[in-house]
Amino acid sequence: MTKQNFLPFLMLYYKELRRFNKVFIQTVLTPLITSSLYLLIFGISLGKNINLLNNIPYLAFIIPGLVMMGVLNNAYQNSSTSIISGKFSGDLQDLRVTPLSNHQIIWALALGGLTRGLLVGTITFFVGQIFYFVNYGSMIQVQNYLILFVFMIIGGLSFAMFGLSVAFWAKTFDQLSAVGSFILTPLIYLGGVFFSLENLHPFWQGLSKFNPLLYFINGVRYGILGQTDVTLWLALGVSFASLTVIYIIAWHSLKKSNFTRW
Amino acid sequence: MSVPLRIKGLVKNYGSLEAVKNVSFDIQPGEIFGLLGPNGAGKTSIISCIVTLEEPTQGEIEVYGYNVAKEPRKAKYKMGTVPQELIHHGFFNTQEILEIHSGYYGIVNNKERINYLLHKLGLWEHREKKVRQLSGGMKRRLLVAKALVHQPKLLLLDEPTAGVDIELRESLWEFVRELQKEGVSILLTTHYLEEAEELCDRVGILNHGQIIKIGETKKLIKDLTHRKVTFQLKTQDKGLEHEYKITIEGDRHIFSVPYSKTIEELFNELSLTLGDVKDLSIQEGSLEDAFRYLLGGQGE
Repeated sequence: MTKQNFLPFLMLYYKELRRFNKVFIQTVLTPLITSSLYLLIFGISLGKNINLLNNIPYLAFIIPGLVMMGVLNNAYQNSSTSIISGKFSGDLQDLRVTPLSNHQIIWALALGGLTRGLLVGTITFFVGQIFYFVNYGSMIQVQNYLILFVFMIIGGLSFAMFGLSVAFWAKTFDQLSAVGSFILTPLIYLGGVFFSLENLHPFWQGLSKFNPLLYFINGVRYGILGQTDVTLWLALGVSFASLTVIYIIAWHSLKKSNFTRW
Repeated sequence: MSVPLRIKGLVKNYGSLEAVKNVSFDIQPGEIFGLLGPNGAGKTSIISCIVTLEEPTQGEIEVYGYNVAKEPRKAKYKMGTVPQELIHHGFFNTQEILEIHSGYYGIVNNKERINYLLHKLGLWEHREKKVRQLSGGMKRRLLVAKALVHQPKLLLLDEPTAGVDIELRESLWEFVRELQKEGVSILLTTHYLEEAEELCDRVGILNHGQIIKIGETKKLIKDLTHRKVTFQLKTQDKGLEHEYKITIEGDRHIFSVPYSKTIEELFNELSLTLGDVKDLSIQEGSLEDAFRYLLGGQGE
């Protein structure tokens, strides 16, 4: 990629960062409050009565899940909102009439979403650490930073690209929110954020294994706690495969999409 | 040699609707070409195909020799577009929008050009305003500035003066003339036919997705319209019967005279001398007359 080709991509990424930074309260602080409430209600109040088979505190168990939930939700919302607001205001067509390629658009928007997701995920982790310290007098020792970041990056990119695909496909706000409500939220909540596979009925255990989010979330849990419901290599394989499939969907979606305003 | 724009056999269908039917034309370097036609004639569809917002059903489009379907990025560096509809850009101010747009063309430090455009288009005082704080005319000027940040050699203006007041329209056209002097080739669509007549070197008249006439603006007017010649005679005893006479209003005899006929010939055929005439007025044919004539012939 020549410098002249690389700069348009960098500018779109930079624009995405500037965009979510301009609405910092909505994009970063709001998810932070949500995560804190989850930690308080599930981690502390209800968590005292939940026993996990491997004897780790429930608060420690849900922190990786909440971190990944923050990454995925925010990556998805960042890219989808960017496209939808562009469709609404009309400036989406700038991406088509300027020399940006489809691959550059996908990567720039995905990196924008990933950056926001990582920011929220990191803040959620530190808030989780504070809750943990207050309750147990020590901090959680991260077991493998490399694994942790690999899964956060794959998950964030995948969801940002998924958000982009849905936003390009959607013809109305209703369609966009329907995907969020009927597909994304169930997948996240049933992906093992709040529970371990071990605690489920064998039927639901089998069904959950078809949910790619289970592998993203367990990868992050392995990175932080060194424990996972699925093998690490399986989690890595499924995560990479999901990213590849979603990338192809995103590329196809852009190729077929209309960049004109709603 | 490659020309700024070459369109060959362009067809664009939306489902069963044939919006553009086998359109071909080209634009020469430094030329202002007007694409004129009633609403729904297919003007915006053609521009959308040029800038790759729409995929042609059939046909080829080349910008400075680059096929927009095969080498879109190279073609896009050469052209700038002012869309018909206003764009709002919720998050950024005027200057930021121009910086971002420059970046899309791979230009990082473009302050000099941006400042020039902000001054030139009367946006300097509004550079820190968000787009929603700008008036309609200012938004339109911002679109022009965006289209020009990368100094394109081909400028596509899709109804750039729609809803814009007279003063701004005049200043915009003045700027378009300056761009032409700098060697920029311009494709223009407008509903203001007087302006098109004044600005455009050549025009193409589009109706129902087809180009029904294309040519030099002045020649097209001469070929398709008549001059309106009105005589007021000193005495009423002359009948002045002639095939070109269209009516009498009081003591005014009105003729519709083709450009092939000179006023001298008309005088001779009417057996008139200047001494017989109290008053004489000649109204030249206009692009609007030619436009009406052509669309009338198409059953409009």
